[in-house]
Amino acid sequence: MAHGTTPGAAARTASPAPTDTADPSAGRAKGRTTATKPAAVSKPSKGGTFRTRFKRDRTLILMTLPAIVLVLVFNYIPILGNVVAFQEYDPYISDNGFIAMLESPWVGFEQFQRIFDDPAFWDAVQNTFVLFALQLVLFFPIPILLALLINSVIRPRVRAVSQAVLYLPHFFSWVLVITVFQQIFGGAGIIAQTLRQHGYEGFDLMTDPGIFKFLVTAEGVWKDAGWGIIVFLAALASVSPDLYEAAAMDGAGRWRRMWHVTVPALRPVIALLLVLRVGDALTVGFEQILLQRDAVGPGAAEVLDTYVWWNGVRNQDFSYAAAAGLIKGVVGLGLVLAANKVAHLMGEQGVYKK
Amino acid sequence: MSAVTEERPKAPGRWAAPPRPVWEEQPTKAGLASKGIVLAGACLGVLFPLWIVVVTSLSSKQTISEAGGLVVVPKDITFIAYQELLSGGQVTRASIVSLCVTLVGTLFSMTVSVLAAYGLSRIGSVGHRWMLMALLATMFFGAGLIPTYLLVQSLGLTDTYLALILPSAISVFNILVLRAFFMGISQELIDSARIDGAGDWWILWKIVIPLSRAVIAVITLFYAVGYWSAWFNASIYLSDQDMMPLQNVMIQLVQKQEPPVGLGQAIKTGQLSGLAVQMAVMVMALLPVAVLSPFVQRHFKKGMLTGAVKG
Amino acid sequence: MTPNTSAPSRRSFLASTAVAAAVTGGMPLLAACGGSGSGSKEGTTSGKDAQKVLPAFVAQNVVTPDIASKNGSAAGFTSKMSLAELKTSVPQKLGKGSTIKIMSPFWGSPPKSSNPYYSAMNKVIGAELVWQNQDGNTYDEKLGAVLASSDMPDVVVIPSWNMGGKIPSAIISKFADLGPYLSGDKVKEYPNLAAIPSDAWQYAIFGGKLRGLPQPAPTVTGIVPFYRKDVFDKEGYELPTSAEEFLALAKDITNAKAKVWACDDMKWTAFNIFGVLSGGEKPLGWNLVDGKLIYRVETDEYLEALEWTRKLYAAGVVHPDAKAVNQGNAGQRFTDGQVLMYNQNISDWWGKMAEQATQNKDFRISGMDIFGHDGGDPELWAGSPAGIFAFINKKASKAVIHDVLAAANVTAAPYGTKEYMLTNYGVEGTHYTVKDGTPVKTDKGNTEVLNAYVMLASPAPTIAHPDFPDIAKEQVQWQQRMGAFTKKSSFFGLQITEPARYTNLSNDFEQLEDDVVRGRKKISDMQQAVSDWKSQGGGKLRDWYKKLLDDNGSAQG
Repeated sequence: MAHGTTPGAAARTASPAPTDTADPSAGRAKGRTTATKPAAVSKPSKGGTFRTRFKRDRTLILMTLPAIVLVLVFNYIPILGNVVAFQEYDPYISDNGFIAMLESPWVGFEQFQRIFDDPAFWDAVQNTFVLFALQLVLFFPIPILLALLINSVIRPRVRAVSQAVLYLPHFFSWVLVITVFQQIFGGAGIIAQTLRQHGYEGFDLMTDPGIFKFLVTAEGVWKDAGWGIIVFLAALASVSPDLYEAAAMDGAGRWRRMWHVTVPALRPVIALLLVLRVGDALTVGFEQILLQRDAVGPGAAEVLDTYVWWNGVRNQDFSYAAAAGLIKGVVGLGLVLAANKVAHLMGEQGVYKK
Repeated sequence: MSAVTEERPKAPGRWAAPPRPVWEEQPTKAGLASKGIVLAGACLGVLFPLWIVVVTSLSSKQTISEAGGLVVVPKDITFIAYQELLSGGQVTRASIVSLCVTLVGTLFSMTVSVLAAYGLSRIGSVGHRWMLMALLATMFFGAGLIPTYLLVQSLGLTDTYLALILPSAISVFNILVLRAFFMGISQELIDSARIDGAGDWWILWKIVIPLSRAVIAVITLFYAVGYWSAWFNASIYLSDQDMMPLQNVMIQLVQKQEPPVGLGQAIKTGQLSGLAVQMAVMVMALLPVAVLSPFVQRHFKKGMLTGAVKG
Repeated sequence: MTPNTSAPSRRSFLASTAVAAAVTGGMPLLAACGGSGSGSKEGTTSGKDAQKVLPAFVAQNVVTPDIASKNGSAAGFTSKMSLAELKTSVPQKLGKGSTIKIMSPFWGSPPKSSNPYYSAMNKVIGAELVWQNQDGNTYDEKLGAVLASSDMPDVVVIPSWNMGGKIPSAIISKFADLGPYLSGDKVKEYPNLAAIPSDAWQYAIFGGKLRGLPQPAPTVTGIVPFYRKDVFDKEGYELPTSAEEFLALAKDITNAKAKVWACDDMKWTAFNIFGVLSGGEKPLGWNLVDGKLIYRVETDEYLEALEWTRKLYAAGVVHPDAKAVNQGNAGQRFTDGQVLMYNQNISDWWGKMAEQATQNKDFRISGMDIFGHDGGDPELWAGSPAGIFAFINKKASKAVIHDVLAAANVTAAPYGTKEYMLTNYGVEGTHYTVKDGTPVKTDKGNTEVLNAYVMLASPAPTIAHPDFPDIAKEQVQWQQRMGAFTKKSSFFGLQITEPARYTNLSNDFEQLEDDVVRGRKKISDMQQAVSDWKSQGGGKLRDWYKKLLDDNGSAQG
């Protein structure tokens, strides 16, 4: 490949020689194992011809290739099928669904118009964002706190047992989790019946639209918070005890050590997960909510994914579903890029960096 | 070049607490108590529902009927629900299928993911950004079922086990987590290896992977659990019932207890409750965790990867 | 939290739903999806055009039922079955040895693909049927995908509740016209198919051609208000005869402290009590009144029925788990004694009896007669004459089509024949044993003889329970009493494909009904929705149906 044939390569070669080759051991000076800034020495220079840089990085490209091939074949080819969002697609008018895509009538942005004109769509968007905000505030920090708690336990037996127990609910299906909640908190549940037998009024937490979003968040915490800790535990496993010792020698107490050693070690992982979570804001638990949607009605429970399912998938309105999927994808990508930008401003790596 | 060393705490017994470092202060009683209360509370919050599930799976239809649902206090113990699950030989065959798919799939997914995560871990390398974006975008843009099915079918994968592995072999989320951990590894170590003439394969194999054992254990677990509990691809891509993996067989066994209206001819009378079968399925679903949990926890010991910073 | 997205199948979430819902909630009480289509495929076929394609009807005279079908009921067999005198309805096998792949929904755990039951059936048929039994709860997704591919099985079974969206369009474009094999006298080659009632065949005409092999169903309403006869007798409760009495009785029964509620969700019964047009399949919801077509949601009866159901919920006589919809199973609450009344498909009458026989000797289930809301006679509307169809791939060879029909001729054999016994009970000694003259399925029978072959084609609706002949009698008599009050709405019995743009127009009403009766929305919200419906296409849909009626004539009279 001749150098400079691609505009991108030309543009990048044109940029001035890297300025960030200085400051060799910054990471170490701060005593972080998980360097927030990859040590600069190894950062490949942007100079040199495309050919030399390609030659230098070809192993890396080769390593990434299998994953790229897999997504190209199994993601991108079917994603091309999303053109039906601009059609009135009927997969059955032809012998094969692919050929039917060529033959279905084009309708421009009509499907998008239909979605935007539907007040139920906007209700679903609102519910989705409210639920996302709740999950972010009430759910996201819990695995981190639990990981810190477990990490501070010294006895191996206590650590092992509590971890193992906390993982378990992740392996329950949503059907079962909701059944268990219904049997405990429902109108004929254990608590309500016990109250009634003692002369009090019963109650029903499961069909109250007012608290539904809290209920969903609580179920989520119960099921997945314990499972969520394992990534953080993995991050904590790589913190050197020397760092704690050094901090202790400097007179840092228990809390200061946590703040200055433990938390920084978790920061890149937290930032990554947070960025990805924000990008996935429009996904707030599909199966879980669909199972309970009818208990409180769509006014309180409809979220974007269930909306698409009811209006697109269930009715086999493939074009409508594809259009809604595209909207969701564009919003999600926009959110993740924005969140990534914020992460950079706060000095974190985030998902990717230029 | 500095070798990577691991410092395994040499504790006398497996469960014995490691000696408290001299620099660490004794915990306060209040601190210990509050920690204990939070942990015990969290564990009880999990164990109480689990207790209900297990007891119900071991109860007779009569007991479940009297309780009007899930059983809290056991009255009689019967293994009839488990017998029903294990009879017919389908579960044995399906377990082998699931085990093989999980093993092969996890190995394949991990290989591809670790390679990709390392391949993308050097910022500024050629094509790095485009490849990363290509992966990232698939987290947000999905494809409809029909185009995906048609693709898998035209590749000739329907009714083969590859259809349970290839279409969903990699999770971009997992690759990004691996990559984040790889990028956290001390660069000096890698640089010095590079100066000594080591190539990327050597660095990945001899430095990055040994230093990332905790996260690799976690991601392996993620993939394995994913393969083990997947059922949707099988229900779409496989037509031959004799090929179905365990999850699908389990789902069907639960349904068998409650046939849909109008097709009631399959009702099996007797001591067996559909609810008990459902609960038994759940209990069996927890088994892999019990098996995998210790395996993962071995990699979580504090400070086991200290070689990284000493380099 | 993100770690749980680790599963390789992110998409599995997007499709798992129906599954989970169905596991807990059972099948849809009534299939809520009507037909639809696109382009010139919409419309229906009736009158002379239908006569041209319909198979001739030749009543079977092999076995005479104890209670003949009347008023749209099934035929009942209530006397002791004499297994020694089983007749033969297929004297020689018609199959010519083709191999036939059949995709069919299946609930439960399918048997191994080679098993004694399948071999015995194939031997009698004379062809090699290979069953692809698919999980009934994800059948929608699988069906949608398989029909879009150019490589379909030879036969595809599609229940009417899976015919939403664009499936009717697929049926018309992908499946064979069976007219050349069955129309008129040609059907006589397959005597058991000729004995399937013409109503059911007419309903199997899709896009002007006879495409389906029907599973006939009684046209009288399938939803029975069941009650616990044992408890009612013990407590001296009297059966209600009006909407008001029902509410009063329900308040009397309910004792939340003792975990007893009067009833489960009674919405479908309310529709019957108040004489609301059928909500089963959309065309049945239209009726000509004083020269104008009206749709069920536009009627006063509809609002009254909702208002009454709303009162039940407000009075606290409905079980809280029923309020939470997908929770548990109404039949389970009924047998547990947590509710004393519930409405469900008539099959539960025998189903619950058989299930409880070994558990609770005192248990008695019975169906109460549907009463008019004011205490007078009820006004009921007829349902569809067939519910499940088998279709043959249009690419299938003549030999394959012939062998599929040969197989259907065996599975459609009437009660009292050897072929019926084989299809429904399997092989004597292997799948069932005879105890006191009654066939009892063995464990092997319970694992292998399930809903596979019966999906291909069935005889005229039959109710026969050799183990509980009295229940069979009660069921048929109930159907006949209710049948006497049953009328046919304007489009009864016509397989209608609505224009594609209206397919989903009326889909949201069911959801809104549930909101209204549970007190989350007001009756006025429903009125608003109805007027929105009119302006958003309901009016045009009315014109479309009116034209259809003018062109084809009505089923009434």
